[in-house]
Amino acid sequence: MSFLADTEAMIATWHGIAAPNDTARRLTADLAETIAAFEAVRGSLRFEDEPSSFEAALQACKE
Amino acid sequence: MSAAHLLGLVEAAEAIARREITAVELLEASLARLDAVNPTLNVEIWRDAEGARAAAEAADTALANGAALGRLHGVPLAHKDMYYQAGKPATCGSAIRRDFVPDYTATVIDRLNAAGAYSFAGLNMAEFAQNPTGHNKAFGDCHNPWNTPYITGGSSSGSGAAVAACVTAGSLGSDTGGSIRLPASACGVTGVKPTQTRVSRYGVMPLSFSADNVGPLARSARDCARMLAIIAGHDSRDPTSAREPVPDYESALNGDLRGQRIGVPTNAFTVGADAPVLAAMEAALQVLEARGARIIRLKLPLMDAINAYNAVVARVEAAAIHAEWMRSQPQSYAQHLSGRIYPGFAIPGPYYVEALARRGPLLRAFCREVFAKVDLLATPTIPTCLPTLAETDIDHGPPGTERRFLAVSVNTRPFNYLGLPASSQPCGFDPHGLPIGLQLAARPFAEARLLRVADGLQRDTDWHLARAEV
Repeated sequence: MSFLADTEAMIATWHGIAAPNDTARRLTADLAETIAAFEAVRGSLRFEDEPSSFEAALQACKE
Repeated sequence: MSAAHLLGLVEAAEAIARREITAVELLEASLARLDAVNPTLNVEIWRDAEGARAAAEAADTALANGAALGRLHGVPLAHKDMYYQAGKPATCGSAIRRDFVPDYTATVIDRLNAAGAYSFAGLNMAEFAQNPTGHNKAFGDCHNPWNTPYITGGSSSGSGAAVAACVTAGSLGSDTGGSIRLPASACGVTGVKPTQTRVSRYGVMPLSFSADNVGPLARSARDCARMLAIIAGHDSRDPTSAREPVPDYESALNGDLRGQRIGVPTNAFTVGADAPVLAAMEAALQVLEARGARIIRLKLPLMDAINAYNAVVARVEAAAIHAEWMRSQPQSYAQHLSGRIYPGFAIPGPYYVEALARRGPLLRAFCREVFAKVDLLATPTIPTCLPTLAETDIDHGPPGTERRFLAVSVNTRPFNYLGLPASSQPCGFDPHGLPIGLQLAARPFAEARLLRVADGLQRDTDWHLARAEV
């Protein structure tokens, strides 16, 4: 099966939702770009393995 | 028609306080202006003229009786139609919620009302606040006051167009990926997306729990400062709102930009931008430099990661919020909306968790590297000259139209992921006579700095004073 067909089947199985239109199918096919973007940053970031809080980061970074 | 509708937000409040105009006169001017421009712009979803007249009369009576006045005493406002007001519609720009009437009121509305303002209309918006253009299947597209075939920007389309057309002097918008800054840019007004957590979201239609923000659109930085000071601050009904004290934003507007270091990215935000947009940004930077700011060109770090993670968070959260309606009545959505929500169901949980878990560390790393060198970032709000509604109409356009549609918000989205405050203010016009916006961004909770620089720009330029002929 193609990436799109696989993904449509997965969404139907997990969420009970069918692709509502061709725009949905085109944008779903574009998820390949999301995967590629994640792959591209994999291993490039080094952060400590500690619990992180976005709200705490906002406070830590303020003026 | 009187010219009262031309008054800015602060001017209007001061004119009422000085008894140069009554609240009733101001409201009638606003309603007349709405009548005049709505057939062309389609900014109105509903109005409450009777309720507003009662509020305006009460404001005039209070003034006559010597009551203490709030900072917006007697000023009529109209907002994006997603702020809940008990007993009034909140359609969220959608067919699904066309008949929704909440029984409670958003904190931001309560705060504006406590300051003496009142609402007279619900404004058009992108369906469920989910497009950057202003298209709307349920209530009709909103049109740009400067050139009606062109987009208003979205999702706060009615807010941008109504403020630009002087229907209202200020309007609440919401910003999950640019929805305050984009219409501010496209319509030639000023808009501020505050720091994530700065403003309560209680009683506000959710789109993305992690990235939604409430903020003002108005015709000047000073007017935005007044609105933001009123709505910002912790709210016990929204436990995600920050306990950070709210400064007096207006007192920060002193015109002194000496020493402000303004960074202009060289590797993102400007790459591929249209020449008229870049020329307008550079002209604005020269004005800021003449006021004492230093312009520093710099390469931004971590943009690939920020963009990768940003692409995931809002889509997954929107999918979760809309799952029930996507199952039961997908045909009720516009094609461009259901089409965009649908892929969110396929994004794996580990991607979503990774994107959220990295958000704090990425913010820290970005701030450490960037804001050691500069105090603010300056970019085009929208990197291209504005497209038309037709050019970005996914529902009726050819395959691929979504690329042009999504490109509108490419410069605004990263600051939602980082949670940084960002504003847009006018900095020129493109060859079609449409406004161009300059986006500024700063450290968390540095809204006062943003507003000071925006106000400094507006002291020496008149782009924000230009009025569309509608």
